[in-house]
Amino acid sequence: MDNVNVLIVEDTPEESNALIKTLKSNNYNIVEVATTFKDALQAFYRNKVDIVVIDIFLNGNPDGISFAETISLNPKDSKPFVFLTSSTDRNIFERAKLTQPFSYLMKPFNELEILYALEMALEKFYAQADAFLGDEENTIISDEYLFIKKGKSLKKVLITDIIYIEVEEKYCNIITENEKFVILISLTKILKLLDPSVFSRTHRNYIVNMLKIVEIVPTDNLIILSGNHKAVLSDTYKDILKKLRTLK
Amino acid sequence: MHSYIENVIKISILLALILSVNFLNSQENSKTDLLSVEIKNTAIHYKSYNNFYKSASFFLEEKWDSTLVYAMRHINTSINDSIMLNYAHYFRGFGFEQKKVFDQAQKEFNLISSEFEFYFLVKKRLGVIALEKNEFKNAISYLEPLTKLKDSQYAYLSKSSIFQNLGLCYNHLGEFQKAEAYLVMNVKVNEKRKDTLNLITAYGSIANLYYEQYKDDLAIPYFEKAYQLSKSIKNFEAKRITTINMAVVEENRKDYVKALKYRKEYEQWKDSLNDQNKIYEVAQIEKEFAVKQKQQEVNLLQVENRAKIKERNGLLYSALTLLILLGLTFYFYKEKIKTNKLIVSQKEKLDELNATKDKLFSIVSHDLRSSVNALKVSNGKLLENLEEKNLEALDGMLQNNSAIVNGAYNLLDNLLHWALLQTKQSYFEIDSIRLYFIIEQMAYNYKPLMQEKGIRFENTILKKDIVWADQESLKIILRNLLDNAIKFSENGDFIKVYSESKNDRYCNLIVEDSGLGMTKQKQEELLKDTTVLSKKENEDIIGTGLGLQLCKSMIKKNKGIFSIDSELGKGTKMIVSLPKIALNG
Repeated sequence: MDNVNVLIVEDTPEESNALIKTLKSNNYNIVEVATTFKDALQAFYRNKVDIVVIDIFLNGNPDGISFAETISLNPKDSKPFVFLTSSTDRNIFERAKLTQPFSYLMKPFNELEILYALEMALEKFYAQADAFLGDEENTIISDEYLFIKKGKSLKKVLITDIIYIEVEEKYCNIITENEKFVILISLTKILKLLDPSVFSRTHRNYIVNMLKIVEIVPTDNLIILSGNHKAVLSDTYKDILKKLRTLK
Repeated sequence: MHSYIENVIKISILLALILSVNFLNSQENSKTDLLSVEIKNTAIHYKSYNNFYKSASFFLEEKWDSTLVYAMRHINTSINDSIMLNYAHYFRGFGFEQKKVFDQAQKEFNLISSEFEFYFLVKKRLGVIALEKNEFKNAISYLEPLTKLKDSQYAYLSKSSIFQNLGLCYNHLGEFQKAEAYLVMNVKVNEKRKDTLNLITAYGSIANLYYEQYKDDLAIPYFEKAYQLSKSIKNFEAKRITTINMAVVEENRKDYVKALKYRKEYEQWKDSLNDQNKIYEVAQIEKEFAVKQKQQEVNLLQVENRAKIKERNGLLYSALTLLILLGLTFYFYKEKIKTNKLIVSQKEKLDELNATKDKLFSIVSHDLRSSVNALKVSNGKLLENLEEKNLEALDGMLQNNSAIVNGAYNLLDNLLHWALLQTKQSYFEIDSIRLYFIIEQMAYNYKPLMQEKGIRFENTILKKDIVWADQESLKIILRNLLDNAIKFSENGDFIKVYSESKNDRYCNLIVEDSGLGMTKQKQEELLKDTTVLSKKENEDIIGTGLGLQLCKSMIKKNKGIFSIDSELGKGTKMIVSLPKIALNG
């Protein structure tokens, strides 16, 4: 599991320092701190950013909103973001609201508020409400990563690293090359959100990354995966064999 | 000489004849009334036959032209009722007779069948027509059978007229004996009936008859009788004729004195007649004049009326306009009063607000001054201790300082939000909010303070509890409620935050503490919708009441309800009811 990458766009060093301290202590990775609109854009495209924290006012101008507008222009490149502001000025808010999805945080804020704001931003951006903030789940699935809530913090897992998933009621065991961990997510949701050309169900309780298959032993109903992991292939799902042929 | 007399006689006879015909008509009036009734009944009986009915009606109204037309129309229709046909022919015959078209009248009368109920009347009409046409023999043939009618039939025609006319006919034919017989009978009939006017005519006729035969002795008493009778009546025509007859008689008797006297009387009656006619004419003219004058008056009145109506309408319109103007004035006056009232009430409110603001100003500045002063004193001590290197005391003093600053900060924060709320400049958007997290976040700042004061904190709200509110204002509300709870709690007390769902629409968020609590009176005072700030009761506890006022305003703006459940010495429950679903408006 990796830490979540945060880009901070904030022109006041005291505030950015305090923010860095808070986020770092919660296992977030701060990729860069930008202080101007231009810097922020460069930093955004230079780094692999998972989420951006933007101060609305940069050097007295609402450049933060312009930055958010710019990165939202191309939906493929856009990332979740949180606005920070110390002003409740209605006009500024009306403009900021136009950048969707909109989440904001009033200064001053405490640790819980910023962590909550980041989780909210991810939920809203990936349109998976209650993924972190309800009791039922703790995972958001994006194209690239699984974002998993661990304690107060967030972690991410590269989806391509997953070898297979074993479902146990409400839980899913995620098995990667190096680790094995449990997430809270429903089977229906995970099946819906994972790329079906890569992940296939082989058994009532197994979802397998097809790219990680080493060998299939149909007589034993067994799939051998990389790292010598084994998954079950039930009769119901033997159709995947046809799919595999085309992959070879 | 003789021929002269003869001439005179001839003239008098002629006069008498005209007279008799005139009388004949007048005499028959009463008799024809019965016939009218009969005709009316018949007409009503045949009412559905429009032409017949109309002809009968016009007949009774003596409108002869119309009678002729409608009777003709009825005859031309294919309705073959003999009763109606006979009546129709009778109407036409009578009509023609009245219009003096005797040939046509005779034709019509002849078309009536002998079965006709009033066939004897037809005979009479034919007789009269024959007499008019001087066909005396014909007339006699028609009239003579009428002398022997039943009494019931004489109800419809006068026997006397038959005798009179027959007498006249025979007289003209020179058959004096027959004439005498009829005329004598006529006299008898009339004497019996005491019909003066007819009697005069009868006497005149018989006198003429005798006089023509030079039977002067017989004639003169009749003339005199007629003359004497004429004195008792008012008919000038009768008087004139009897007088002239007497004058002629006396003249022939060479008694010129008497003759002259009669002549003069005759002249007098003639004049009277003329006068009467003249008076009548004058009366007629006067009547016409009066009518004209009346008409003029009527016209004048009409014009006046029109003018009056115009005037009245004018008055009405002006009155209406005035009324409308009055109404409008009244309306605007009322509006003005309303506006004035509004202005006055607004002014009062404004004054009140201003007073509140001033009070707020003084309290806030007082509090801030105390805080800053405490900080100043504390900083001085801090510096002293730092110089003395008394590091152990530093920690406690710094914490004290931080508490003072926190209090001051909260006060300033409330002040700022109060100002923003008053000016409505602040961003406000109602959205769904997860209560649990927001309370955790707000309580986070107070955790160290609570720990220090030894207060237990518990948040038992479910993660799925959602309310619809504006995030920032909800945060302010929670901050103030927690702040208050901590302020009024002591070591060992607890603060619990939990929710209750009383109904589908509202979620009750409750901040409960086991602290000082308050009296009912204080609770009511706090809940009162007034901006006047209460004076501080507890001097050691920093507070202005601004926090709670701000809470109340914010809750109201979030369409929530605020209530307090507290008991002095036992603790307080601050209850905030917020909508669970998005409310419209």
